[in-house]
Amino acid sequence: MATTTAPRSTTGTASSATARWKGIAAVGVLAVALVVAPLVSSPYINYQLSSIAVFAVAILGLNIVMGYTGQVSLGQSAFLGLGAYIAAYGILHGWPGPLTLLLCAVVPAVVGMLVALAAARLRGLALAMITLALPIVGVPLARRFDEFTGGSQGQVVSWLRAPESIGLANDQWRYYVVVLIAVVAFVLARNLVRGRIGRSFAIVKENEAVALSMGVSPYRTKVLAFTIASLLGGVSGFMYLAIVQYTSPETLVFATSINLVAAMVIGGSASIVGTVLGAVYYVLVPVLAGQVNSSRTALISGAVLLAVLFLLPAGLVSLPRRLARLRSSRGRPPQPPAHPTTSDEAAQPASAPPAATTDQHS
Amino acid sequence: MTTTTRTDEPDAALEVRDVSLRFGGITVLDGVSFEAPRGGILGLVGPNGAGKTSLFNCISGHYQPTSGSILVGGTETVRTRAWRMAQLGLARTFQHPALRLDATVLENVMLGAHSWLPGGPVAWSLRLPSTRRQEREARQTALELLERTGLGWAAGMPADELSHGLHKGVELCRALLSRPRLLLLDEPAAGLSHGEVEQLIGTVREVRREFELTVVIVEHHMGLISALTDRVVVLDHGAKLMEGTAAEAQSDSRVVEAYLGKEAAADESA
Repeated sequence: MATTTAPRSTTGTASSATARWKGIAAVGVLAVALVVAPLVSSPYINYQLSSIAVFAVAILGLNIVMGYTGQVSLGQSAFLGLGAYIAAYGILHGWPGPLTLLLCAVVPAVVGMLVALAAARLRGLALAMITLALPIVGVPLARRFDEFTGGSQGQVVSWLRAPESIGLANDQWRYYVVVLIAVVAFVLARNLVRGRIGRSFAIVKENEAVALSMGVSPYRTKVLAFTIASLLGGVSGFMYLAIVQYTSPETLVFATSINLVAAMVIGGSASIVGTVLGAVYYVLVPVLAGQVNSSRTALISGAVLLAVLFLLPAGLVSLPRRLARLRSSRGRPPQPPAHPTTSDEAAQPASAPPAATTDQHS
Repeated sequence: MTTTTRTDEPDAALEVRDVSLRFGGITVLDGVSFEAPRGGILGLVGPNGAGKTSLFNCISGHYQPTSGSILVGGTETVRTRAWRMAQLGLARTFQHPALRLDATVLENVMLGAHSWLPGGPVAWSLRLPSTRRQEREARQTALELLERTGLGWAAGMPADELSHGLHKGVELCRALLSRPRLLLLDEPAAGLSHGEVEQLIGTVREVRREFELTVVIVEHHMGLISALTDRVVVLDHGAKLMEGTAAEAQSDSRVVEAYLGKEAAADESA
C-alpha cells in the first residue's frame, strides 16, 4: 500500500527500502489486529468483520475480471450463490469441510469457465448482458430445484461450531475460519496480478492489439480471468454459509452483483487494498445508514456512493494520494483568496508539482 | 509459388508472396511480393494509404490476407494466430505507442518477456522459487535493454511522465525483450525530434548487430530510410511499385510521381 506510492522520488533505492520496511510493519500490525480483534469484540462486531472477509473475496474475484482485465461482469452473485448452495448441500450430506470448500472452488470455476468460453468472444454490452443473465436465470433455478436447494424457503445449515477444547465462541471460531480463507485468497491473488499473468491481464484491458503482438491471447486471458473470478465467487459462497448459516435464492439476486460492482469501484478498481476497502464499504455503509435512519437506508447509501465517486473517482484507495496533494497545496505560503484572474490560473499549475514532490519525503 | 520449402536456415527471414488483402470491395493490398534477407534492414515506403501498415498487420498476424503466403523464418504463418507469432520470433512496434501509462516503464517493458517466461496461473499465484528466479532474470534483462537505449534512468517512473519520443524507446525495448529474430517497426520516427531520430538510427543499428535481427521498417522519414536500410520496397495503392536501394527509390520517376502526383512530377522533370 505505502510501497506502491512512495518510490517516485530521486532518492530511489533508499526510499524504496524504507517503503519496504513500512510495508512489512504495516502487514505485521494488520496481522496482529486480525488475530486479536475477535477476542475483544462483541459477537455482533465479529459477524460484521466476518462479513467483510466474505464479500472481500467476492469483490476480489470481480476485481480480477473487471478491474484488472477490464471485462464487465454482472454475474458475480450467481457464483457466490452457487458456492453457498454447494456448501449447504455438502454439509447437510455430511461431507468433510475441506472437501466441501474444494468443491465450492472447483465447481463454480468450471461453470464460470464454460460460460466464459462462449462469452469471452463478446465484449462491452454484449458481455454485460450474458453475465447479467446468470443471476437472472439462477434465482428461478434455485427455487425450482428444491430437493437440492430447499426452494424459496432456503436452507438453514447449522455447522462450524467451535471445538470445545479451543475455548472460543462460535462467532470467534467462524471469524478465524473465514479470515484465514480470505487471507490465503488475497495472498494468492496478489501474487498472480504482480507477475506474468497480471501483466497479461493488464494489457488485455489496455490494448488487445499490443497483447497479441506480445504473445498474449486476449481470449484465453479473459477466460482465465473469468474462471478465477468464478472460483473466488464460489469460495466466498462457502464463507457466506459459514457465517450466515443460511442460504436462499436471495443470496444470488442480481442486485447483489450490482452492489458488488459498486463496492469494487468505490474501493478501487485494479487494486488489492481497494478490494478490502470496497468490502468494508459494502458491509458497513448499509449498517451505518440504517443507524442514521432505518427507513432511508438505500437513499443514504446511494448518497454516500455518489459522494465517494465524485470526490475520489479512482476509489477509496486513492484517498492518501488525494490527501497528500491537498496537504501539499495547503502547506504552501497562504495564497490570497481566490481571484480567478488569468494570471493566477497560469501560475498555479507551475507551482503545484514541486510542492507535491518535496512533501513526499515528510 | 505454391511449393513451400522448409529449411532450418533460410536466406530470407521474411518472405511475402503474392499477398492480397480485401475488405469487402476495397482492395488494400494487391499481389505484393518481396523478401527480407536475413540480418538486413528493409524499408517499406509509400504515400499515405499505400497499404504499408496493412501489410505489417498481415505479417504480424493482426490481419489475415485474402490470398497469398507469408513465411517467417521459413514457416508459413498466414493461418497462424497473431499471439503465436511472438513464439516464432516476430516482434513489432506500433505507429502510436501503446503503453500502460499508469504502470512503470520497467513494468511495460516486462510484458515483452511474456512469450518466453514459463509458468501458468498456479505457478505465479504460489510464487514458486523457480518462477521468482525467472522473473528476476527477465527484470534484469529488461533493465539492461533500458540502459542500452538510454532509458535506464526512467525504469521506475510511471510511463505517463515520459514524452512521446521516449515512449517509442520503451516500446522498442518491450519488443526486444521478446527475443525476436524479425523486428517490425511501424513509423518509429513519427513525432520524434531531429536529435531523437539520430539516436534512433544509432539504436536500431546497434541492436540489429547485437541481436542478429532482421528489421523491416515502415517510415516516411526519408533521412532515416536512407541512413538505415539496405533495400526499400515502395508501395502505392496496395501494389509494389519498385524495389531497390533508398537512393534508387528517391530518384525513380514512378516513386516521385506516386508521392507528388503526376503533374508535379512532370513539373519537376521539366
